[in-house]
Amino acid sequence: MTKIDLLQGTLDMLILRVLARGEMHGWGIADRLSHLSRNALKLGEGSVYPSLYRMEGKGWIKAEWAPSDNNRKAKYYSLTKAGRKQLETEQQNWDQLSTIIAEIMQKA
Amino acid sequence: MKTLLAKLRALVRRRNLEAEMMEEMRQHLERRTQEKIADGLSFDEARYAAQREFGGVAQLQEQCRDERSFISVEQFVRDVRYAARSLRKNPGFTITAVATVALCLGTNLTLFALIDSILLRPLPFPHAERLVTIFNTYPKAGVERDGASLTNYYERRGQIAAFSDLALFRAESATVGESGVTDRVDVARVSPDFFSTLGVALQLGRPFREEEATQQTQRVAILTDRCWRERFNADPQVIGRTLRVNEVAREIVGVLPADFRFLSSTAQLYLPLASDPQSRSPAARHSGNSIEMIARLRPGVTLADAQAEVDAHDASVAETYPQPKLISDAGFRSVVVPLQGDHVRAIRPMLLLLQAGALLLLLLSSINLVGLLLVRASGRAHEVAVRRALGAASRHIVTASVVETVLLAVVGAAGGVILAAFGVDVIRVLGGDRLPLGATIAFGARSAMVGCLSGTVLGLALGVPVAWFHVRPGLGGVLHSTARGGHENRATRRLRNGLVVAQIALAFGLLAGAGLLGLSLHRVMAVSPGFRPDHVLSGALTLPARTYDSRSRLLTFADRLADKILRRPGVTAVGIGTRLPFAGNNVKSAITVKGYVAPPGDSVRGVYTYGVTGDYFGAMGIPLLRGRVLTADDSRGNVRVCVVDEDFARRHWAKGDPLGQRLFDGSTERPDAEGFTIVGVVGAVKQAGLAETPTGAVYFPLRYRSDFNIFVVVRATTLPTTFGATLASIVRQLDPELPLSDLRTMDERITNSLVTRRSPALLASLFAVGALLLTALGTYGVVGYAVAQRRREIGVRLALGAEPRQIRDHFLAFSLRLLAAGVGLGLVAAWCIGRALQTLLFNVPTIHLGTITGSAAVLALASLLACWLPARRAAKVDPIVALRCE
Repeated sequence: MTKIDLLQGTLDMLILRVLARGEMHGWGIADRLSHLSRNALKLGEGSVYPSLYRMEGKGWIKAEWAPSDNNRKAKYYSLTKAGRKQLETEQQNWDQLSTIIAEIMQKA
Repeated sequence: MKTLLAKLRALVRRRNLEAEMMEEMRQHLERRTQEKIADGLSFDEARYAAQREFGGVAQLQEQCRDERSFISVEQFVRDVRYAARSLRKNPGFTITAVATVALCLGTNLTLFALIDSILLRPLPFPHAERLVTIFNTYPKAGVERDGASLTNYYERRGQIAAFSDLALFRAESATVGESGVTDRVDVARVSPDFFSTLGVALQLGRPFREEEATQQTQRVAILTDRCWRERFNADPQVIGRTLRVNEVAREIVGVLPADFRFLSSTAQLYLPLASDPQSRSPAARHSGNSIEMIARLRPGVTLADAQAEVDAHDASVAETYPQPKLISDAGFRSVVVPLQGDHVRAIRPMLLLLQAGALLLLLLSSINLVGLLLVRASGRAHEVAVRRALGAASRHIVTASVVETVLLAVVGAAGGVILAAFGVDVIRVLGGDRLPLGATIAFGARSAMVGCLSGTVLGLALGVPVAWFHVRPGLGGVLHSTARGGHENRATRRLRNGLVVAQIALAFGLLAGAGLLGLSLHRVMAVSPGFRPDHVLSGALTLPARTYDSRSRLLTFADRLADKILRRPGVTAVGIGTRLPFAGNNVKSAITVKGYVAPPGDSVRGVYTYGVTGDYFGAMGIPLLRGRVLTADDSRGNVRVCVVDEDFARRHWAKGDPLGQRLFDGSTERPDAEGFTIVGVVGAVKQAGLAETPTGAVYFPLRYRSDFNIFVVVRATTLPTTFGATLASIVRQLDPELPLSDLRTMDERITNSLVTRRSPALLASLFAVGALLLTALGTYGVVGYAVAQRRREIGVRLALGAEPRQIRDHFLAFSLRLLAAGVGLGLVAAWCIGRALQTLLFNVPTIHLGTITGSAAVLALASLLACWLPARRAAKVDPIVALRCE
């Protein structure tokens, strides 16, 4: 099975979407992404980190060290209010964009 | 903004974040590896698979760092190196910029160190913010400040709930030491609870006891650390030893800690403020006697609470004073104010204004630097545009510009810190240590820190316009226009011209401000002190009460002293007085004129009273207007006569004749036998300073108004520098115990009194000169740049037949427009500065036409000169060369 590249800039949106369900650590997000995409995306697991750091810097998500299930400290990420808003905008943009592209692809 | 904050925070917590990131990724890989092992892979295989799925760890980490910090460390180092190299390549610009920053920041930091030492740093006592001082004021009698009385102290002690402690302090001088080697030193008399009020514990011994203040027989003293070291060689067994003070042996009961200093006091020795019951009685309640009252507020008590309690207490005791109406007519009130704020109140506005002036200069030089940086930036516009076209991010361009300006400013700031450390010494030379708390002036760590911080902030601020210049929209335009040799864009040109206008306006304001201060100083100096200060030497003597126990002994001593000095060659007149103009003692007393009824709404006025003998008026050069002066004979006989000055005479006898009228020493009319007959009227003399408003003075024969502190005044045809020593030896011949101190010519005293006016005026003129130079430089830069930019156009014009003169006039007109706009704005600045200075000026209006015209003329001259050179260069452009060079 050939994997496909992720469209530029969409990783942030996907991570925001994943985090909208609740707080999660880095590898959890990577797990979830590969699980939901049925492993079809060409995406190194580590690429979530630059994205996470960027969004933390922008204030869309926040990180906290908390004890994990195996009783060690792990870094948990969760959405902030600004992040929720950002997700909403990106979702809308994406919906519009995909509709437009689909329409063009069908009708042209 | 939020992003910026997060990034700044990241910069600070860099190491922390780094560790977190490593840990997070390590955990991720570890977990994956374990999953793979659970799936049946060997450890090595599992780890390899996990790493493959994760991607390049080092690259990802680098990406994360990029996301979370301004710039990666390497990028930063590269930028700094690049900036340093490009600054080194351009030494002329770099040296100018660094020197400007160093000078301006140095000036500001010097003044800040002054303000920090005097206004900001709390007094060196625990909870110094709760220390207050309470003084009596009689505004309607012309006495703004009269300290507090012993009666006030004994009545208020323990009665005012707002105060946890209450104490008295009086500065005096005393003769200390063994016979023949005595010195006159500053001492302080204090109430027993003085040290506990301040919260100071003695390093040896005990504080004064209550009975040492209420009984005048207890002879004790507390030494300052300095006195302990100098006179007792820091003897740890000093308690119980004795020290001769005013010829009486006093037992030493304590030693103060090394760093103890009460405000600006120079006292070396503390003595109990002993008094008799008479001087603590209600009748003495309004005899201030130069005593200062201090108190410590209880925690949580406000100044207003304390004031209310003091007012209530004053009201409750008012009726026990023999003449309550007199006191209430004088507008009497006791005022509670913070101790430190009160002590530095006179110098505060001056310091703040000087700092404001220095800040204006800094602003001006920053504007100038921005202009220079922009010229430099246009030289590089092409290079930067190419870099951007090749894909350099705006972020990197901005960082590079800001790194360069910060580097410049920080190097400049380091120079400024060094300069300021020296500047503090210069301030001392200018008379800084004569300011209140001036002895504490030091360039501390706080000032150095402020210096470094302000350097960084300045660098960031300077970088903003340069960065804006480089990343502003219109990238294509730059490439386009530079290639064609056309004009730069209008916004930058406007900005640059605006900067020059702002500089001219600021320089104008500073020039006008300095002019006003100078004019004020000039007008103060033009005020006649009321006596002829040339060729007059004066010195102070404190006569020990034990030897001079009777008035006649004192008079005999004064007579013999005057006589002996008069026999020296060259001496034309010798006088002795209980006080001296410009010698620091500005206490006023009440005088009652027989039969005089003050007009309604007016009250008794405080006047200066003198006891004089010898030829005091001749020695001082005070003119006689009517009648006769007092002579030594008036002190020998017992004729009750006095002399008043013209202000006193005018106030009481606007039309009538003062000669022959009678007056009484004190605030009440007494039996006629205690009155004094006025025998003469002399010219008014300034006492506290040249700018003082007249209050009147009365001179009595020394016999009737004697004091143990007397001044000797000698007028001579010439005053060789050794004359002081001669005088001191004459005094020693008469009494080996007596040191002559505070030897100064009257000219010197007047000059010293002007220090708080002269130093600011001098500093302000220095600022103004600096501003003028900077503005000339700025104008030169901008006009020169305009000429360089338009070389091609000038070449075309000349080729088409324009006269060189027209070209030159065109640029001169351009700079005149800048000048006009700058001066227009500057008028507003000058008005604001004039307003702010108003309280410090003497007889000078807010807008003084001469100063304004003068400033404008100086500024016009400087800026025309600055643009003459480039304008002439424009006129000399060779059209062939100009057109060919593209």
